[in-house]
Amino acid sequence: MELHKEKQLLETLQGVFQLKSGEIKRRHRIEVEVEKKDVVPLLLFVKEKLGYKHLSHISCVDWIEEGRFELIYMPWSHQEQILIMVKVSIPRDAAEMENIDMIWRQANTYQRELREMFGIEFPGFVGDYDFILEDWEDIPPMRRDFDTEAYVKDHYFERPGREDAKDVRTEIAKRSGEQIPDFAKKYSR
Amino acid sequence: MREKTTTLYLGPQHPGITGNMMVKLSLKGDTIVKAKTEVGYLHRAFEKLLEKRNWLQCFTVMCRFCVPEPDPMENIYARAVEEIEGREVPERAKYIRTMVLELARLQSFLLWYAGQNGSAGLYTVPQWSVGDRNYILDLFEELTGGRIYHMYTWPGGVRRDLPEGFESRVLKVMDYIEKRQEDYDRMMFDNSIFQKRAQGVGIINKEKAIEWGVVGAPLRACGVKSDIRIDEPYEIYDKLDFIVPTQEGADVWARALVRRAEFKQSISIIRQIIDKMPKGEIYNKVPNPQKWTLPKGNAYVRAEAVRGEIGMFLQSDGGNKPRRVHVRGAAYVHAVSLLEDVLVGQNVSDVSFIMNSLGTCPPEIER
Amino acid sequence: MNDKNSQKIVDVIKNFARKHSLFVLAYGTGCGAIEIPATMTSRYDAERFGIRGAATPRQADVLLITGYLSTKTLKRVIRTYEQMQDPKYVIGFGSCTINGGMYWDSYNTIKLLDMYLPVDIYINGCMPRPEAVIEGFIGLQKLIAAGKAEGAKKYKENLDWYRANQKKVIKNWVMPDYNW
Repeated sequence: MELHKEKQLLETLQGVFQLKSGEIKRRHRIEVEVEKKDVVPLLLFVKEKLGYKHLSHISCVDWIEEGRFELIYMPWSHQEQILIMVKVSIPRDAAEMENIDMIWRQANTYQRELREMFGIEFPGFVGDYDFILEDWEDIPPMRRDFDTEAYVKDHYFERPGREDAKDVRTEIAKRSGEQIPDFAKKYSR
Repeated sequence: MREKTTTLYLGPQHPGITGNMMVKLSLKGDTIVKAKTEVGYLHRAFEKLLEKRNWLQCFTVMCRFCVPEPDPMENIYARAVEEIEGREVPERAKYIRTMVLELARLQSFLLWYAGQNGSAGLYTVPQWSVGDRNYILDLFEELTGGRIYHMYTWPGGVRRDLPEGFESRVLKVMDYIEKRQEDYDRMMFDNSIFQKRAQGVGIINKEKAIEWGVVGAPLRACGVKSDIRIDEPYEIYDKLDFIVPTQEGADVWARALVRRAEFKQSISIIRQIIDKMPKGEIYNKVPNPQKWTLPKGNAYVRAEAVRGEIGMFLQSDGGNKPRRVHVRGAAYVHAVSLLEDVLVGQNVSDVSFIMNSLGTCPPEIER
Repeated sequence: MNDKNSQKIVDVIKNFARKHSLFVLAYGTGCGAIEIPATMTSRYDAERFGIRGAATPRQADVLLITGYLSTKTLKRVIRTYEQMQDPKYVIGFGSCTINGGMYWDSYNTIKLLDMYLPVDIYINGCMPRPEAVIEGFIGLQKLIAAGKAEGAKKYKENLDWYRANQKKVIKNWVMPDYNW
């Protein structure tokens, strides 16, 4: 498959910005990594100059071992049919990122979620604080160090009998006077 | 004269709301001056749970992301895993997957007929279309064992082969549904009540549509020819012959017409697939799930659902569990920032009508 | 009417009438709501059994908890349940209401519905088929006919216990008192 459109785009971006890395993943996908200060200029450049009008996704990965969050912005062009994955790392403690909701309006929703789920602050960003969670008092739940099982043990009741994962079909069958057919027995644990 | 503004909380317990969510409306008389979406009632923390599951366990969770149309979610997960791992999929599995996707589209269209007409007060169409949807669910049940959640498309292929004579039964259902389309036309598209309710309601700003992240049928109703199945062909869509219908109105009526045309396209696609279906293997065996690890890397995979573009970002850290799974649903943009914009200036009685036409699906907003 | 036997006859008639007119509140609290349209419409036609939808809590008899409840929804569900008039019944729908199901380690969903609301009958499965839903409703009808569906009474008598459980999950409790 010819990848000349992708190659051309990567060369353009390399000419304008200092990319930390850049690769063609496959047809329709290129991935670039930039410094934090280059993110907003790059997104503005691809949107206004190259026609990457549609923001498909903003995602975030928590690399707790390396002490950083990795944000991934994904604009897509309906003409070129390429999706750029713009990766940027920000420090995990005092996580802050530039606000981009004046470039794409729907980034507002994504940023509200990132703030709630990862605790990433966006200075100058106006948006309601409660998005998905209500009255949340713990650390932001999508961070890797939030232990969901411990939280569940603290806050919720547990139905007894779940922990041993026993096959309960014989019990139920006995209770209602049913016979378990032979073919079903071989699937029991 | 100073007019009073009334605040109306529409939902979460409201029969017109599509799913469990709330829209907070500020009203002047009957007209909406401000709308605010509030979600989070269906947050199950899937993305957190997936970090605790191994690659095969994840696959059973995927279909629960979006209830009305679970198959595209399974499909994008399978494709994301395959992209990271470089796993090949047999040709026959690709055909079966595409057929499952299109069947899922059809049943979702029928559910949309029900929602769109139910919210307009035309209660005959829901009775018909949900009844007809059962015929497609029967096919799914025969193929996968489940009516709603199929857990059928897994990394490397599909879970089991088509039963004997399945193709002919699919074709029979297609013939039936195609014939029923005339009835739906008479009840819905030729119905002056529906026309008057739909025309000129819920208009999206056409110039801004792409920039605002509108996808799927609402975008095609703005005159933009965009479809992931053609822009970025996956499975076997590049071997199939179908068109992307567009309209110019950008209102509920235009979106309804687009969906009606897509419905016909889906039927034709399924017929083509059955015509071309090759013989062969149906899956590429995955390793022991306890020891199955993926190389470090990420993938962002997209698919076209009835509501629009859905995507999944998958990050692997080289272990036997995903580092991060992040789903982008079409409703994530449609039901929050777009809905808040479209509702302004509309009549309060049209809220659920517009929500249905935008394809609002709360479970994929908050996951 | 103080005579014990005549009270019994009145109860039988009352329960007979109640069991054949179950108005289900249209509140899809979880993913199980997708099978409700199928149950209500042409093929399965739950109206044969006197089961039909009601738009507002004050006119409804049955609260269907269709699946998992996040803590945010639990607050609204409790409010909805307390608005409902007697007689009222709760059906737990799906495995996740019984023991958490596949959300057993999720930080945002409750695991045991009957610690927070008095459940009269459970329907298991993920998700339950329309036949199972109808079966569940018939089970509820049998309970009503036998005069054993006493969830609302249990709730009233043990309100403090239920409240304590509910307040354990819902941190910001701003709801009116339950007084009927």
